[in-house]
Amino acid sequence: MSEQATDILSSDEVDTLQEIMNIAFGQSASDLSEVIDTHVVLSIPFIEFVKVTELHTYIQQHVKEYSKISIVEQKYWGKFKGDALLIFASGAGRELILLLKNDEQGSLEAGSAEILESETLLEVGNILIGACVGKLAELLNDIVTYTPPMVLVEEDARNAVPANKFDPDQTAIILKTDFNFEQGGATGFLFLVTKNESVVWLKKALQLFLEQYE
Amino acid sequence: MIKKILIVDDSPIARKMLKSCLPKDREYEFHEAGNGLEGVNQYKELEPDITFMDLTMPVMTGYEAIEEIIKIDTKAMIIVVTADVQMSAIKTVLDSGAFMVLRKPIKKDQILGALDKAMDTKEKGAQV
Ligand SMILES: [Mg+2]
Repeated sequence: MSEQATDILSSDEVDTLQEIMNIAFGQSASDLSEVIDTHVVLSIPFIEFVKVTELHTYIQQHVKEYSKISIVEQKYWGKFKGDALLIFASGAGRELILLLKNDEQGSLEAGSAEILESETLLEVGNILIGACVGKLAELLNDIVTYTPPMVLVEEDARNAVPANKFDPDQTAIILKTDFNFEQGGATGFLFLVTKNESVVWLKKALQLFLEQYE
Repeated sequence: MIKKILIVDDSPIARKMLKSCLPKDREYEFHEAGNGLEGVNQYKELEPDITFMDLTMPVMTGYEAIEEIIKIDTKAMIIVVTADVQMSAIKTVLDSGAFMVLRKPIKKDQILGALDKAMDTKEKGAQV
């Protein structure tokens, strides 16, 4: 269902993008670990090219173990543009509340547990996405702006990412990374769905990045 | 003298980046490994003067590889080169016996500084 990444980018370009994603996600984990009280276990990022029409199924495949998921979404645009989806397995919001160093649970009134959960997911999502996309852009000499993050809390995993969400004529570059928290067991996936129109710029930016190391 | 260098990183590009940052006027002998386990095996075989070690790798992580190498050679000179710059990660590897931690993407002056420091430490160790 997915195309070989090397059809669109050369294998050197894929390797470079993967390493840049690795650095970018390291930055997010470091930023996040200043806010939460646990080590974020990083995984090796993965790059894949998927037809936008198949994206819904693709993402579903990755969350099929979970009946409910929470999603934080943020669009970014610069020369590099697309959509960041941070998907948390069910229960992650509540786990993260416990891990937040500056927990303000005491100051919130009863019945606001849901608000606290969505605010926590938003905050964590904003840090992870902002640091990751920001670092990626920085390394590739781009400047991106973001829409404010949006959150869906504990949605049915089958419907959380609607099939018609993305523009159907495009191929999306998926940069995916999984992460776990050493304590608390929350897990998640970060998908950067980058628009096909960024490819020409991306190839050039990757080459420029590599030239520093010739 | 630092001559034999082992670079352990799953990313071929990261290995290339690192090599390109090493001073060109010195003659090094490079060896490369694509995961922690290969790194440990090559360490045993080659006894390199310096090992550059990534952390996030398949098969065996850098965290485990450092522990294994230190078991074999308590004086191993391991410089961690990583994207994982969480305080907890840095503390863990230094506690395991890594010499220092450098942050990716690697820069020439970082490498030069690290090599000088490593050489200093090695010479001091040899004098004792
Ligand atoms: Mg790695």
